Amino acid sequence: MDKLLRNKKAIIIFMAPAFLLFTFVLFIPICQSVYYSFCDYNALTPPKFIGLENYKNLIGDKTLAIALKNSLFFLIFSCVSQLIMGLFLAALLTNIDKGRNLFKNIIYLPCVLSSAALGLLWMFIFSPKLGINQLLAKFGIEGPLWLMDTSGAIILPMWVIAFVALWQYVGQSMMLYMAQISGISKALYEASYIDGCNKVKSFRYITLPLIRPMVATAMSLNAIGSLKFFDLIFNMTEGGPNHKTEVLATHLYQQGFKYFKYGYASAIGVLLLILCLLVTAFINKVVKTENYEM
Amino acid sequence: MKKISIQKIIIYIFLVLMAVLYLAPLLWVFNVSFKTNKEIFTAPFALPQAPTFENFAFAWTAGKLGIATLNSFIVCIVTLLLSMVFGSMAAFAIARLRWKLSHASLVYFLIGMMIPVHCVMIPLFTRFAKVGLTNSLIGLILPYLTFALPVTIFIMVGFFEGMPNELIESACIDGATIFEIFFKVCLPLGKTGLFVTGLMTFIANWNELLLAMVFISDDMKKTLPVSLSKFVGPYNTNYSQMFAAIIIAIVPTIVVYCAFSNQIVDGLTAGAVKG
Repeated sequence: MDKLLRNKKAIIIFMAPAFLLFTFVLFIPICQSVYYSFCDYNALTPPKFIGLENYKNLIGDKTLAIALKNSLFFLIFSCVSQLIMGLFLAALLTNIDKGRNLFKNIIYLPCVLSSAALGLLWMFIFSPKLGINQLLAKFGIEGPLWLMDTSGAIILPMWVIAFVALWQYVGQSMMLYMAQISGISKALYEASYIDGCNKVKSFRYITLPLIRPMVATAMSLNAIGSLKFFDLIFNMTEGGPNHKTEVLATHLYQQGFKYFKYGYASAIGVLLLILCLLVTAFINKVVKTENYEM
Repeated sequence: MKKISIQKIIIYIFLVLMAVLYLAPLLWVFNVSFKTNKEIFTAPFALPQAPTFENFAFAWTAGKLGIATLNSFIVCIVTLLLSMVFGSMAAFAIARLRWKLSHASLVYFLIGMMIPVHCVMIPLFTRFAKVGLTNSLIGLILPYLTFALPVTIFIMVGFFEGMPNELIESACIDGATIFEIFFKVCLPLGKTGLFVTGLMTFIANWNELLLAMVFISDDMKKTLPVSLSKFVGPYNTNYSQMFAAIIIAIVPTIVVYCAFSNQIVDGLTAGAVKG
């Protein structure tokens, strides 16, 4: 049997398709992308090495500054809001028996739907004269320009989009927390009630510490998801008005595939990649602690 | 006892409100997609006076959603099948075959989970443009498949590692080759795992917009999210058709979700717990 399992030929045949795909479609392009980010490269000319020029241009790029600010806003907003809402919903749902699956499935539903489609829907709902504003007008209230107002440090459209993203994706965090909470032994809670804990206290002292590893996982997923964020923005505002709702992904798309500045767009891509790796490492370092026995 | 029941009532009221917040927009789209464009402006919340399928017909043919739906199905099904086969083959080699670099190659695949597709888009696009893979469904399938592999491999490694040794041993004694062991013994037993990862892959690719938009410009090759995004724009205010298009795009995933919600949840939690 050992001979059978050590068969070199078999190993190569089993690994080859996945390994080749992974290498040629992911690993090599990543390396190329890093190289391109040091190049003057567009649709007309082949890549020419120019050192750090693209990265220097990044610093002076006003739209990039907005995109970076918006992306970081999304990152922080989604990490915090999904943690709070996700945990809250998970705690509520694990406390009821009847209808738990129903409510769970309803809240998770938008996660599996096309965010391009939902983006169009919300674009309509928050449009100047229709949707919500039409409803508000019935009560004689003039609604704000949800997706066009550009005053304030974090402009209104960003808040709107951030809440839509929370609406769409909170189900994922909720699911992960629920899975973790339902794995906690009932005996622990019973013991805590005997010791005089109420539900809130037992949540604080039993549930929270025991789901910390999952908090790290869910947060990393949120963080990477919000840095990659593209579909909703693209279909709700397309980065407008006047590039005010641009995020890193939409800016990369614009630079790379509207203006065909491949080299410069690659530099944005590298920035995005570095941010993803940093944030995941940071979250795992801060949030994750040793696993408790459950 | 009474205090607890009041608590429960508050919880239920809150949950019902949440459910309304989630279902109302979707039901509303469904409702208005049967209306004329004029009705959307005059009576957006009423039921349609004379339900019409014209919006769907228009979106399906003139809006090219019919061909887009077909393209999406082709891309998703091919990706799904290939990712299951290639992913589980690699997972089997990593979990069961005995070689030095098995753990290292698992790590290699798992790194892929962290990499956003945005970062490989430009080199892939320029390369594919050279070899004629842009504006081709194969050019979409390749990256979709690659990005589906890490999760598939991760979940299937878990499945294969959990299988008892005796299983493989006895197949061995019966004279099975390693391929027979994989295809006839292990793979059928890993069905549930495969099914779960397949669902996740299908849903993710059905909804993918960015790569599809970059790689495909030919109307006949576009996938649903791309064709859908065309319904918005300063020159198009025909909302009733847009809503019909939205319904066309989300109904397949709603159906899949209703049928397999438990497996999808399993897939989500299994895929997330990557230590």
